[in-house]
Amino acid sequence: MKDVRVWFTKKDECKYISHLDLNRCMLRALHKSKIPIWHTEGFNVHPYATFPLPLSLGFEGLKECMDIRLVEEYDYNSIKEKLNESLPKGLRVYDVTDPEMKAKEITYSVFKIKITSEEISADELYTKLDELLSKDEVLVEKKTKKKGVKEIDIKPYLDKYKLERNIGGAILEITLPAGSVTNINPTLIQKAVERYYSVDVYFEVTKTDMLNKNLKSFK
Amino acid sequence: MINKEVEKILLKVQKPGRYVGGEMNSVVKNKDDVDVRFAFCFPDTYEIGMSHLGMKILYSIFNNVPYIWCERVFAPWLDMEELMLERNIPLFALESGEPITDFDFIGFTLQYELSFTNVLNMLKLADIPIKSADRKELKQIVVAGGPCACNPEPLTDFIDIFFIGEGEEVDLEVIELYRKCKAENKSKDEFLREAAQIKGVYVPSLYDVEYNDDGTINSFTPKDNAPAVVEKRLMLNMDESYYPENFVVPNIEIVHDRAVSEIFRGCIRGCRFCQAGFLYRPVREKSVDVIDKQCHTICNNTGYDEVSLSSLSSSDYTEIVKLLEKLTSWSSGEKVNISLPSLRVDGFSEDILNKLKTVRKSGLTFAPEAGTQRLRDAINKNVQEDELIETCSKAFNGGWNKVKLYFMIGLPTETYDDVEGIAHLSQKVVDTFYRCENKPKGKGVTVTISTASFVPKPFTPFQWYAQNSREELMDKQLHLKDTITTKKVNYNYHDADTSYIEAVFARGDRKLNKVMEKALEKGFRFDGWNDCFSFEGWMELFEECGIDPDFYACRQRSFDEILPWDFLDYGVTKEFLIKECEKAYKNTTTEHCRLKCNNCGAAKYGGGVCFERR
Repeated sequence: MKDVRVWFTKKDECKYISHLDLNRCMLRALHKSKIPIWHTEGFNVHPYATFPLPLSLGFEGLKECMDIRLVEEYDYNSIKEKLNESLPKGLRVYDVTDPEMKAKEITYSVFKIKITSEEISADELYTKLDELLSKDEVLVEKKTKKKGVKEIDIKPYLDKYKLERNIGGAILEITLPAGSVTNINPTLIQKAVERYYSVDVYFEVTKTDMLNKNLKSFK
Repeated sequence: MINKEVEKILLKVQKPGRYVGGEMNSVVKNKDDVDVRFAFCFPDTYEIGMSHLGMKILYSIFNNVPYIWCERVFAPWLDMEELMLERNIPLFALESGEPITDFDFIGFTLQYELSFTNVLNMLKLADIPIKSADRKELKQIVVAGGPCACNPEPLTDFIDIFFIGEGEEVDLEVIELYRKCKAENKSKDEFLREAAQIKGVYVPSLYDVEYNDDGTINSFTPKDNAPAVVEKRLMLNMDESYYPENFVVPNIEIVHDRAVSEIFRGCIRGCRFCQAGFLYRPVREKSVDVIDKQCHTICNNTGYDEVSLSSLSSSDYTEIVKLLEKLTSWSSGEKVNISLPSLRVDGFSEDILNKLKTVRKSGLTFAPEAGTQRLRDAINKNVQEDELIETCSKAFNGGWNKVKLYFMIGLPTETYDDVEGIAHLSQKVVDTFYRCENKPKGKGVTVTISTASFVPKPFTPFQWYAQNSREELMDKQLHLKDTITTKKVNYNYHDADTSYIEAVFARGDRKLNKVMEKALEKGFRFDGWNDCFSFEGWMELFEECGIDPDFYACRQRSFDEILPWDFLDYGVTKEFLIKECEKAYKNTTTEHCRLKCNNCGAAKYGGGVCFERR
């Protein structure tokens, strides 16, 4: 038995596959590829795959991964090729490796966000974003696990970013806490803009990397 | 491909995966390389439409023709519709992401009457004039097929062409004619007149209907050389009928998310309430080897780990055990489940049970349809009580402890004794469980019964029958509820309101076109969904249009009345339907096609069960 990490991108139409559906897509592709993966034992036998850090619906992912368990030796390159034949075009496997780190080591996600607005000019938008990110406190409402809403201050998490002007708006590159302990979703920043400035903004979010607590790229 | 404007609203709606395309095996062509763009519209949500086998077959047939690009279109759910209207985004096709407004063909499949409002709403969302007469050019040809095309009359103002019967060949013939007419710069009228000459094509604008003072039809007259009788098309040889090697594999979960193989068309039984049993005559089987190969190919090409054998009554397949043997020879090794829906009570053999051992024990469903033997005879269900009890014993001894039973309420000749019979029969099933020696240990039994309200349909022996009033139906439901005394039996019933509206349109005539038009103006859509259906709304609408819905739903017709669909020929003669109707009222059954030919008329096609050796 061997654990293997499959690296893939999630783009275009496939951005809109929810995590649950992504799991089903991947299992179907694994089944179609006849890759010898381990099946769970017990009452409801099913092929086993797990995702170290799920990606939010609608986000593009350039470095996503899935862990599977092989029951016999299988060439990594063949896994990549076979899966790509069996997946929709928006999901592309680009590498298959041994897992070096444990899933729970993931501490941060790195995002690149293209921000635009139909309501205000690019300059205005940039200024507002810049101002928002420099505030002492940024309060937003966040859904809690118990179906409630609570107000939190996301300012403490907005410490690793770069904001640049861009045609039609701005580009924000930001590293946010992710993983099993704290999760700050970039849509909270969008909510903050809308709350503080009463302006509708459009976020195109790309997740570019995952980091461990020492800011080392997840492997 | 996602269009930029659509992308901006996707994260504001539920299940955006419905609206983006990009699935494996979806077909993207270069629009400049094709002559005909076809929007295949399913008038319901993505999850429902994508589960439909007919769409998969036609999508593939069309796209195999180099000059056609067929794309899929589904009805946007309410949240998406609202945003599309707000932002002036016309209805678009999933493959190209482009508006379907200027497509050559807009094709609808009519699967159930309550989706008719979605047909019109989708045309409106696409900025296409809804009335046939307002689309004057040779483009935007609106076509429709499917089971509800067997009474096309309520939609004649809107649809240019109806396809009658099975579409595999006739659709392509019409598209080819269109391409030719286009090249020759012919008008839409010229095209329609020529199309009407193709067998299986009904062009409603080429027929005049006159009515009597009492609202019944006086005459139905063709013009411009259109045929007086439109004959259905069918595929006689199922082995040679086109079957796709590939399905579009949805990225999001749909209702029936599995591979499907059609094992035969039609049904030998002739249950008198069942429209499909008459429309698809004669029974035509695919051979074991062809089904086996098609199942294997489709599983290999899609990655599905379940294949469902589709037909109206799976256990009537002549070589069902051999088929299951052949399929299971590879399926278990490849971790593929075989599922066998539509099992008849009398077809549930140990052999089949053993072959299906791999299937999860989720539950078993049987449809006795009526509670007493007398009524089952009247509707020609031909299932005996002891067969049901025996089948349930086998299932209970085989480890099952949940059974679902489907019944209908409001069937012709039904009395309150028949209604009570449903409760008594369910009780007997419960008792059977406790008598079974090998029943699952430590578990109780659950018998779930569902009743649907009977809707009389065209081309059945009950096409003349007055549907029970809503009051009668509801009273029968309550009566049944009161008759059930055990907690082991759960009772669900479909509300009678939708069945009533369904009955109006199922046997409607051209006078209902104005109701449809008004329904669109008032924003009706998704009437098959509780979220949208409003009985009061429909009744107001009928009132405003001066239409008495009881005329269609609750009126007993005489055998000599001209029915709106009489000009269509589905192979089964009216004489046969009358004979079957008379037998129903005498509680007399008719033997099924393999036991005896009853001269329904379908033998004229020269194939299928009519020519099997008995």
